[in-house]
Amino acid sequence: MNDGLAGVQQSGAMQVVMIGLGEEKFALDAGLVREIIDPVLVTKVAGARTFVPSVINVRGNVIPLADLRIRFGMPQTDASADTRIVVIEIQIDNEPVLVGVTADKVYEVTEISQTDVQQTPRVGMHWKPEFIRFITKWREEFVIVPNMERILN
Amino acid sequence: MTAMDPTEVFRQEASELFEVLEGALLDLGQCPDDRELVDSAFRALHTIKGSGAMFGFDKVASFTHEFETAFDRVRRGEIKPTQELISVALAAKDYIRALIEDPQSTDDIIGEAILDDLKRFVSSDQPSAPVAEIAEARPLAPGESRQAGWHLYLDFESHILRNGSNPLDLLEDLCKLGPCFVVPVTDGVPFLDEMDPEDCYLKWDVKLHATCDKDAIDDVFMFVQDEMKLTLSPLEQVEARAPAPLFQLLDEEPAPPVETVAQMMAPAAAVAPPLAAKPERKAEVASEPKSDIKSETAPARREEAKQERGIATVRVQAERLDELMARVGELVIAQARLTQLASAGSDLSIKMIAEEIERLASSLRDTTMGARMVPIGSLFGRFRRLVHDLSRDLSKPVEFVTSGEDTELDKTMIECLADPLVHLIRNAIDHGIEDTATRAAHGKTEQGRIELAAVHSGAQVLVTVKDNGGGLNTARIRAKAEEQGLIATGAALSDHEVHQFLFHPGFSTAQTISALSGRGVGMDVVKRTIENMRGSIDLSTKPTQGTTVTLRLPLTLAIIEGLLIRVGEGRYIIPLSAVEECIELTAEDERSCGRNFLNVRGNLVPFLRLREIMSASGTPDRHQKTIIISTGETHVGLVADQIIGSHQTVIKSLSKLHSDVTMFSGATILGDGTAALILDVAQLVALAQAQTEKQISEAA
Repeated sequence: MNDGLAGVQQSGAMQVVMIGLGEEKFALDAGLVREIIDPVLVTKVAGARTFVPSVINVRGNVIPLADLRIRFGMPQTDASADTRIVVIEIQIDNEPVLVGVTADKVYEVTEISQTDVQQTPRVGMHWKPEFIRFITKWREEFVIVPNMERILN
Repeated sequence: MTAMDPTEVFRQEASELFEVLEGALLDLGQCPDDRELVDSAFRALHTIKGSGAMFGFDKVASFTHEFETAFDRVRRGEIKPTQELISVALAAKDYIRALIEDPQSTDDIIGEAILDDLKRFVSSDQPSAPVAEIAEARPLAPGESRQAGWHLYLDFESHILRNGSNPLDLLEDLCKLGPCFVVPVTDGVPFLDEMDPEDCYLKWDVKLHATCDKDAIDDVFMFVQDEMKLTLSPLEQVEARAPAPLFQLLDEEPAPPVETVAQMMAPAAAVAPPLAAKPERKAEVASEPKSDIKSETAPARREEAKQERGIATVRVQAERLDELMARVGELVIAQARLTQLASAGSDLSIKMIAEEIERLASSLRDTTMGARMVPIGSLFGRFRRLVHDLSRDLSKPVEFVTSGEDTELDKTMIECLADPLVHLIRNAIDHGIEDTATRAAHGKTEQGRIELAAVHSGAQVLVTVKDNGGGLNTARIRAKAEEQGLIATGAALSDHEVHQFLFHPGFSTAQTISALSGRGVGMDVVKRTIENMRGSIDLSTKPTQGTTVTLRLPLTLAIIEGLLIRVGEGRYIIPLSAVEECIELTAEDERSCGRNFLNVRGNLVPFLRLREIMSASGTPDRHQKTIIISTGETHVGLVADQIIGSHQTVIKSLSKLHSDVTMFSGATILGDGTAALILDVAQLVALAQAQTEKQISEAA
């Protein structure tokens, strides 16, 4: 968590893609995001871990589709007109891996500033603290900057 | 054309030549009388020397020259290649290789020591009367022994001077072979005003009085043989001279005609036209051991040159081939989509185009895959040295037999196979083959035997390593497994299951750890490497008779033929190579709950319901289908809802996030753009076995 904070303080403002999952807003580091696509047909992978239940075809590559809602213990909702898949690139064992993340809604690409960074509270959280890089404020709302590497490993 | 570093070209070429040289030397150890092998080794040496000098590897050139000089006596049949001599020659080869690849790591002293050894061997059995020796050795080459020399007619093409070749230099080289009587033929010289000063109009008529063989003459014209007509015929016996003085002349090393051309060549080395293609040509000649041409006339020579050009090779970077393969893969996917679209519509012309494209795509796929195929012989060659060295170090005489060298496999797989095979061969010699005393006690020949074979079997290639040693000690493996707590003492296990512990990480029954093996790392690595290639590994052993390890490998890593099936909503691919047959699940089989067995022509075949394994939703189809697959020795039925058909499967690997899912070996993209998973049948069966065992233990 602290290293996450340090990174932001050094670079000042941070470009993020704001996505909605259930009732919450998450800010994905824009540097990770490769593309945002409309929902496609998914292929279930029997025996896979619950948060990566399926794979999809993105431009000829078969990539895993992760469901963050499961990681954050949120109820699953049916796909709507707003549902999108955000393709991000993360490092797993020092190798770049493309992962699709289902988002209930993608809001916009925006900047969040370090001055609004809040300490992650130690109590009152349903989520594993290691999944969260930090929490910040954006338009009077608290948004979570998730630690994708931790969530998906 | 990409500019290639000429030095790099030389290195690549040299490494191929080293393989030829090593192969020839090792073969020579087996059959010391084979002149072809000596010649092929000599040619390789000569080419290394020539090209080495051309590319500025002066040390290489001078060392190789010494090597060549010493080896020349073997070539002339004066001394027999003994095992000791071969060993020194191999050491010399290693030294040259080191000089080329990493000159800093070597020292001149090593080279000198090797040369001293070489000279000692060569001169130790130098007879006092070499002439007599020669006379004895000559009958080895029948047909040449009676003749006293050669009559040559040299007809150079007129543009030969422009390429930097000098016929006079060649004539000079020829004179070094023996006394020559040279007459220029001036018939072709035109009038002065028609003469182009850069053209060569002269032809030569040469009588060479020397007992040298044809190859020596060919060597002189090696670089220009494409640009000249060389007519060769033996001289009449009458003109023969006494052989004694000729021998002295022979002793002079013919200077390689390379140097004169070197300066001209260097900048153009990578470009193709005739002269610059020289190194490749030479490599071909060197790797083609049979270049024995009877005194032939010009047209025949031309013909052959043409043929050689026909099988000429082009060096392509491996990455380009990989990229090509990836593109073809995408094309196959796109084509599948087109075919699906076309078959759904009613437009006949579109259907025809789709069919046409399907045909083209599949032949393009085959061609591309073929371009990546490399005969496995290039790999086998490497192990001969390994066996040679191991057999010497362990003092176990071993005969190494290879077969199926021309079996082709994907290049990447050949590279991946090297390490596992080294392990297996080491194991076979170190553990498999007994020492000579034990072998004698069992009534076996003193010499052990290792067979390395490759053979096509359907869509698979089987690579076997077979020894005729003592076989696996099942009791000891079992004891060790019990000791390590891998199985309960006295557990009922088949021999086959016991042998599987050999693949367990850190498992070794060797009582002492030798430099070669016994640390228990190895077999598990072998297994993992083979499985990463979607292959499997089988062990079979007979006490006192030996062990056979069989590696089953798919032909290629990129595309397979698959059987597309449907289970619930999901579609899966079963590799067609694993499929034995498809049958319908009868109502009678359907009813059974306790026993999941089929009766297939009297054989008991267990089956697995894929719906359960894939936790498919919805109701099963009325008529369930069973696909009988084979994995190793076992046959298992897989029950699916529907068999859709065969499918060209472009394999995409699953990401690391799904590395815990062993049931699937990868994924592919179907015609409609969705992904389908490829079943790993071996893992699927193993998983089901584990589950059954768990259920049984829970029930008990």
